[in-house]
Amino acid sequence: MKTNVLRLCIASALIAATSAAGERPKGPDRYAITGARIVTGSGQVIEQGTLVLEHGLITAVGASVEVPDGVWVIDGSGKVVYPGLVDALSDIALEKSEASGDAPFSRGPLDRPGTTSWAAAADALVLDDDRVEAWRNAGFTSTVSSPSTGIVSGQAAFLNLAGERDEDLVVATPVALRVNFEPNANRSFPGSLMGVLAYIRQVFADASHYRVSQTAYAREPRGKRRPRYDRALAPLAEAQVDGWPVLMPGHWEHEIERAVRLGREIGVRPVVYGLHEGHRAAEFLASENVAVLVSLKWPEADEDRDPEAEEPLRVLRMREQAPKTPAALAKAGVMFGFYSDGLESPKEIFASLRKAIDRGLTHESALHALTLGPATIFGVDDRLGSLEAGKIANVIVADGALFDEDTRIETVFVDGAKYEIRKSTDEGGAP
Amino acid sequence: MNVKRFVWTAGLVASVRVIAGGGAAVAQTMVIRGGTILTVTNGTMVNGDILVEDGKIVEIGTNLSVPEGALVIDARGQFVMPGIIDAHSHIAAESINEGSVAVSSMTGIEDVLDPTDINIYRELAGGVTTSNILHGSANPIGGKNAVIKHRWGSDAEGLLFKGALPGIKFALGENPKRSRGGRRGVPRRYPATRMGVIDVIREAFTKARAYRKEWQDYEAQKAHGQADLVPPRRDFELEPLVEIMEGKRLVHAHCYRADEILQLLRVAEEFDFRIATLQHVLEGYKVAKEIAEHGAGASTFSDWWAYKMEAYDAIPYNAALMTEKGVLVSLNSDSAEEARHLNQEAAKTLKWGGLSEEQALALITINPAKQLRIDDRVGSIEVGKDADFAIFDTHPLSVYAVPQKTIVDGKVYFDREEDAERQKALVEERAELLEKLKPATEEKQ
Amino acid sequence: MILTRTLTILVLFSGAAASAQDDVIAITGGKIVTLAGEPIENGTIIIRNGRIAEVGANVAVPAGAEVIDASGLEVYPGMMDAVSRLGLTEISSTAATVDTTELGDYNPQLTAATAVHPSSEHIPVARANGITHAVTAPGGSGGFGVGGPYGIHGQASLINLAGWTVEEMAVKMSVGMVLHWPTIQTSTFDFSTFSRVEKKFSEVKEQYEDRVAELEDWMDAARRYAGESEKETDLKLEALAKVVEGELPMMIMADDARDIKRAVQFAEEQGIKMILLSGRDAWKEKALLAEKNIPVILGPTLRLPRTEDEAYDKPLTAASELQAAGVRVIFASFSSANSRLLPYEVGNAVARGLPWEEGLKGITLYPAELFGVSDELGSIEEGKRANLIITDGDPLEIRTEIKHLLIDGVPTSLDNRHLELYEKYRARQ
Repeated sequence: MKTNVLRLCIASALIAATSAAGERPKGPDRYAITGARIVTGSGQVIEQGTLVLEHGLITAVGASVEVPDGVWVIDGSGKVVYPGLVDALSDIALEKSEASGDAPFSRGPLDRPGTTSWAAAADALVLDDDRVEAWRNAGFTSTVSSPSTGIVSGQAAFLNLAGERDEDLVVATPVALRVNFEPNANRSFPGSLMGVLAYIRQVFADASHYRVSQTAYAREPRGKRRPRYDRALAPLAEAQVDGWPVLMPGHWEHEIERAVRLGREIGVRPVVYGLHEGHRAAEFLASENVAVLVSLKWPEADEDRDPEAEEPLRVLRMREQAPKTPAALAKAGVMFGFYSDGLESPKEIFASLRKAIDRGLTHESALHALTLGPATIFGVDDRLGSLEAGKIANVIVADGALFDEDTRIETVFVDGAKYEIRKSTDEGGAP
Repeated sequence: MNVKRFVWTAGLVASVRVIAGGGAAVAQTMVIRGGTILTVTNGTMVNGDILVEDGKIVEIGTNLSVPEGALVIDARGQFVMPGIIDAHSHIAAESINEGSVAVSSMTGIEDVLDPTDINIYRELAGGVTTSNILHGSANPIGGKNAVIKHRWGSDAEGLLFKGALPGIKFALGENPKRSRGGRRGVPRRYPATRMGVIDVIREAFTKARAYRKEWQDYEAQKAHGQADLVPPRRDFELEPLVEIMEGKRLVHAHCYRADEILQLLRVAEEFDFRIATLQHVLEGYKVAKEIAEHGAGASTFSDWWAYKMEAYDAIPYNAALMTEKGVLVSLNSDSAEEARHLNQEAAKTLKWGGLSEEQALALITINPAKQLRIDDRVGSIEVGKDADFAIFDTHPLSVYAVPQKTIVDGKVYFDREEDAERQKALVEERAELLEKLKPATEEKQ
Repeated sequence: MILTRTLTILVLFSGAAASAQDDVIAITGGKIVTLAGEPIENGTIIIRNGRIAEVGANVAVPAGAEVIDASGLEVYPGMMDAVSRLGLTEISSTAATVDTTELGDYNPQLTAATAVHPSSEHIPVARANGITHAVTAPGGSGGFGVGGPYGIHGQASLINLAGWTVEEMAVKMSVGMVLHWPTIQTSTFDFSTFSRVEKKFSEVKEQYEDRVAELEDWMDAARRYAGESEKETDLKLEALAKVVEGELPMMIMADDARDIKRAVQFAEEQGIKMILLSGRDAWKEKALLAEKNIPVILGPTLRLPRTEDEAYDKPLTAASELQAAGVRVIFASFSSANSRLLPYEVGNAVARGLPWEEGLKGITLYPAELFGVSDELGSIEEGKRANLIITDGDPLEIRTEIKHLLIDGVPTSLDNRHLELYEKYRARQ
């Protein structure tokens, strides 16, 4: 590295290693990475190119880009530059939600059980989540964070994993509505899977009715009974009208199909998350043109299980075959993203990714599912997800191919701010 | 009659061409050759052939010519009966009861079908081809049913018996009144008495009637061209009840005691609909006259009794006695195990109540088909009907009858000989999977 | 015609056999399946003082004997339900009517016969389908379930299914000690929350080992007790001492292969006689059971496979598999209301390869031998109690009707609650 950037690197590395997520490294915000292999993530690989980042945005990328005056130049020889990675569903940087066991007793759909559709992740951010730094250090510059409890949990936000204040993190909100199929724990309505599905059907029907009656009332309130205000319904109606992705769970093939069909029925754009048996549903998803989020927490045997208890073949098959799902989805042309699903460290995430690669997923498809794929699913591909001029400067610099076991992420840019990754930050550090 | 063991067995062990089974079932032209055909509706044909094309029965006769490329199933010495129909089942569903509310008509089994439930296959191995998958009996008005065919290997949608009239579960007596809750701050759920059960049903239909009127008024206003109309809110709890009143949805009512049966019939009459089937209906024999007059079918157990107070007057003669009194009767399983030998359950009516063989077989074929309004498609071996068969090695009303093959829509879904191979393959697959999964486990440790 | 109540020559007692000391009864003209040699076509049985006095093809009928014409019919030993809950439960969901399972884990001092309700409606119902005597055993739910909680539940009793009092019914007050072996279940259903509860294997295993150790402690205590000449009476140890001294077999209910193996090891270490009950995985341990000569009283064959991938017909083929491996197989209902289904449990096993006679012996002779009453019951031989059924065919076949039934030589009514209700409501206009 050139000496003029060395000092800064040391300084920023120290800051990155010790600071809380919110503290941005102080320093310049104009950089050029030169002589690097640039994997743009939009189909192009520049073997020896230059990437210019200015004021938080990518301003130029190419093989013969002139380095503007006054930028800090980083010698990228021998390095590989990628777009920043996206964890497509998590609760990173979110306030802890209350335990769902305390849910109020519900007597039916009108009590809106498990419904906090008004709750927006963007309004409940916390910066002192260790994962912000850990994920960022591993190359994850963004995450889609969502409230996760109840049946209609709330609105997801697309976050960048760096900022001084909560608000800095938000790239877009709302980007999705998260739905779970979990019955009420306290045996009040809905107390079963079929009750949950019936409730979802009713509450979305109520939402479209709400929109129609509110609109009619607004047009001419006189002579009409005022429709009842219901904070649960407005976001659902928006999801229907504006085509928000509605995230619905499904691991088994029939669960995936069920989620898609329900999504269609309630007039929303379903995006299924889970997908451990997605390899069997790939053709179906392709024909339905449905995007999905694949959990990287591959199923494993419980360590403290009865060694003599015979596990169903179905379960063994899923466990063995789940990692081949991403390759199958890619082959069928299904748009998908990856999400960490409770994995505790980026190290585990990359180990999971390598399993998928071992089972036939190409590096290119893997990268897509960590960058442009989720950016497209959540409607922010116009501003990030690939290394293109004008896009947000979420960039990672690695010392080799991203998914190779001994590759280290050396530098991460989030919104153009540079984070130098120290070698020794092992736990949650480089993959 | 002095029934001897193996009296029906002609001593012929049929040699059978290996045919596709399990999930790989394929529809093709098929001739079932030389079996004793128990048509149920048109007597018995000895040494008969059945020609199947596109999943339908196209010809029944003797010495039928075999079309080019047709699959021949040698049934010589065997007995071919219509696929068994189970009018009360809870298999292939990921949830059964939405017991939190007294009326759970917004729920439906179709939403939670699980096509991977092994019981679909196990019951095929008992000759069952069609099942009425019902919501549980936790509430006076339960959820919607799903009639399925046992198309093992298909997806959830592929299981559905397309065109079957939709239905819904009702329940009377001990189960719905066993008031839930009362613990950990959860209030007790109404009702707690048979009075309350009937009240819940009347209340629900009173609301449904008002709901229907609301929509009728809206449609009328719309027809008159009234502008700026907002349609009423759709209520998925009440819509199925409106469908019941309009004859578009069948009521399958779980019941035991004669008195509660009668009360339900009267409530239905008050709201101008008919109960399609009384399920369990263990005291149906006491009010068979009233059931027949109302026009409800009765779907009962062969001989279960005494497992609860309201089952103490259950008698194994129930099916026969109700039949004798003019009720359309079927025998059901309500159990993934019992479903595997409904033929044996039917045989019990020969002994307890003296039904004829044909009447006994009707209890698990054409009668449940009629009760589910699918008798134009299944329930007997007739030209034009679906090619759904159960093939046994001896007369299916014998305890010694072992199902050999089960065919749905002209596809072989169960074959006893192939199953032996299947079992071996599963054992091998398990070993392979465990081997493959081993390194991952070790790496973990 | 199924309503054969034309038992004109028979004295009918509702629910009880009378003393038959003075009566001589001859059953003539039927095919006699003695299970002690070849069947006798057109044979005759002479019954005196409640016992079989003579049986054969050329037996003269004594003057004055009551004659039961069995022409065209078949005579078999009455069926024995080797583990039932008869007399202990009436309506299984109504606790007040259920006396199957006492509180506490170790109750060797209890005896089933002390709670048998002679006028239980279940008894005539079972009898109407050919069950003449049964072991009634503590433990279990009284309902559909075969199993029940872990523990020593007490002593099983062998009763005739007729008699005014349990004293008249009892053949042997105590035939075995019932122990439900502990098991390891990591997934259980919690009815208070209506959901599955998953437990850690290591925790459940620890509890399992504790229970096995506790059982061993009990056996040690019983052995010490038996060896002491001067002692204060301890009812529990006194009862258990009969097991360690070989007077009573331990009837051990176990289903998992692990539990079966462990129970066999336990019985061997303790030097006690073991009978395996239920034994859903017994086929997996058939070699061990054959080697150790441990008989199995199988739970109902009409059950679902234990695991998703087990062969669909495993519960039906297990009996023949065990029998072929040299294990003694006996059948039982483990029920009260369903005791009458006993012959069909066997019939289904016969359909899957068990030799017919082995199946029939599994509900007649073999359980009699097992419980040490084969000099009294189990076959049609001179000197044995005349517990007999006269049928119109194979008793394992569903449509076969029981035409006559004798217990201790007394023609006993086939009337029951079900028949009464049938006739009452059949007559309704």
